[in-house]
Amino acid sequence: MSAQPTPKYSIETTHPLKRLWESGPGGWNHALTRPAVLIPFFVVAALVPLALQYVEDNSSWTGAQFWTLILANCAMYACLAVALNLVVGYAGLLNLGFIAFFGIGSYAYALVASDQLHQHYPVWAALLVVVAVTLAFALLVGVPALRLRGDYLAIVTLGFGLIMRDLILDLDRPPVLAGHQFGPDGLNLTGGTNGVHQVDPFNLPTSLPLIGPVPHFRMYYWIFIGFLALSIFCMLRWRNSRTGRAWVAIRDDELAARAMGVNTFKYRLLAFSMSAVMAGIVGMIDAAFIFNAFPGNFDVQQTVQIFIMVILGGLGSLPGAILGAIAFTVPPFLLQQFVFYKYLVISIVLIAVMVFRPEGLLGTVSIRPRQTMGGTLELLIAETAIEASELPAVTDAEVADLEASAGAIVEDPEWKQ
Amino acid sequence: MSPGVAVLEIQGLTRRFGGLTAVDGLDVTVNEGEIVSLVGPNGAGKTTVFNLISGVLRPTAGSVRLLGRELVGQPAHRITHHGIARTFQNIRVFPQLTVRENILLGTHHWTRSGVLGSVTFWPGTVRAERAAQAEVQTAIELFRERLEARLEDPAFTLSYANRRRTEIARALAARPKLLLLDEPAAGMNPYERIEMAGLIRSMRDRGLTIFLIEHHMPLVMEISDRVIVMDHGVKIAQGLPKEVHSNPRVVEAYLGRRAATA
Repeated sequence: MSAQPTPKYSIETTHPLKRLWESGPGGWNHALTRPAVLIPFFVVAALVPLALQYVEDNSSWTGAQFWTLILANCAMYACLAVALNLVVGYAGLLNLGFIAFFGIGSYAYALVASDQLHQHYPVWAALLVVVAVTLAFALLVGVPALRLRGDYLAIVTLGFGLIMRDLILDLDRPPVLAGHQFGPDGLNLTGGTNGVHQVDPFNLPTSLPLIGPVPHFRMYYWIFIGFLALSIFCMLRWRNSRTGRAWVAIRDDELAARAMGVNTFKYRLLAFSMSAVMAGIVGMIDAAFIFNAFPGNFDVQQTVQIFIMVILGGLGSLPGAILGAIAFTVPPFLLQQFVFYKYLVISIVLIAVMVFRPEGLLGTVSIRPRQTMGGTLELLIAETAIEASELPAVTDAEVADLEASAGAIVEDPEWKQ
Repeated sequence: MSPGVAVLEIQGLTRRFGGLTAVDGLDVTVNEGEIVSLVGPNGAGKTTVFNLISGVLRPTAGSVRLLGRELVGQPAHRITHHGIARTFQNIRVFPQLTVRENILLGTHHWTRSGVLGSVTFWPGTVRAERAAQAEVQTAIELFRERLEARLEDPAFTLSYANRRRTEIARALAARPKLLLLDEPAAGMNPYERIEMAGLIRSMRDRGLTIFLIEHHMPLVMEISDRVIVMDHGVKIAQGLPKEVHSNPRVVEAYLGRRAATA
């Protein structure tokens, strides 16, 4: 029996899909953000409503265009999740007031394109106004708040979100400060709880060559998809450029980033305001889409929902953000008879994610605070360690603690071990 | 610049943490093309000196000058821009960035590119990115066989020694005039330590000025042009490695009084 000697070490050719599976979330992300995947994805996404028109009219229980409406909603949340990913996923800034910028964008558009103030700006002028207003608010909050880290930043931005909501609710009458009334008696800026109605839709053709008549929902679905594609393009370009690397570096290790010459405050502010402007533009499209800007846009619940999408998909992962948006908008529409259990299911899914994949489906960064949110916990440990340490018996570790506290710096690997 | 020009001049550098004086009136000069080692027992204040130089901490008093330019009071990122790059005692690579991206971070302060530039493929931005990518190749020259294969891997997957190498490559990509190395050989095996000694020397041979903290005495003795010994925040000795080695105050600081008098 002449046994063929099997080579001791053989290079086995693994199936490409198996190799992809084994490359882990980082590899999956990389694979899913290639142009060869993204371009077909967006082409298919844009063509979906054309196919849906053959089924849509049959689902009579909610009327025509039901599916396009769901998809438009889904695309809108995907845009917001991508924008939130910039500030939380890339730069590691826990911005809990994120949705306020969406609301500010929608109100800014509503005020210059409705009968509320009798202004009807063309779209491009309104876009400039929206960008300027959201940017102004982002700087107003960002400049003082971004000197804080981690949880403290989260609290300040959360407060900002709540204040904005109250402000919108109260600005249906002229503001009164210390007995002085600003503006004339009949001033009604935001419409209070009613919001601003009859906002102009964008001045767009209602029928396109080759495609034929384009219903309102479908047009706005395309606008959202277009903006989503644009955001993702920008995000990917940023991630592979000096700016995006600086953001991720700040998230990973702020002290080291500073030591490499990154002006951390500037880059944190940049991430914060870019994300705010993106959310503002989404708000503007939404106001034109539903002809409305209403205080519900500022609900904390919305922030939570977008955070859930981003966390489920994975912090910093763009395909993950889209996946999260789909997972949290489409099923609730489909399973409306079970709406009673919606939050139960969401909670269970979230808890499962926390336990089994704290970095989300496609993410590489764990959401546990030590890794990403500025290491506030370490700072507290360091501060108490200083108080406890006796002066003469100082060791290197304690000096490191002192340094960490004095620089208000991110985590120290020694505590992790 | 001819050899002997002072790159780094530290005068009367003092830092107090409450009642503790971590660094007390330190005077140090590092000349062009020198390897100067800062040694001392644990808690002597060595890393604090590095943090004061690189702007992580602000000195209570004193001055730090790089090629005549006063650095005290400037933020850390400006100090890097003026020409000081450093590594950290407890390695601080960016774990989620790949080795390449880590090294690219070193080029951050001397390239220019903005949010709009990268989206619109602005020529200046494209050029800056190309220059930065080229710098990666230059920076890893000394580590070629070690890091080249790992360039696209996230830094958290690297071995301890490779993280150190990445951190040093990142500092080199910043094109510093003065390189601060905080315990570059800590936690390395003897073979890697010898390699590190050769590496530090070849960096000096390329014209870098190096100021390092190191605990491993044979390494310090081998590579340093001058050694400065600190204890309790005060400079207790300086000079050629051999002189310092036999200085009774140094022996006392390391081993205690009895050992010094025995």
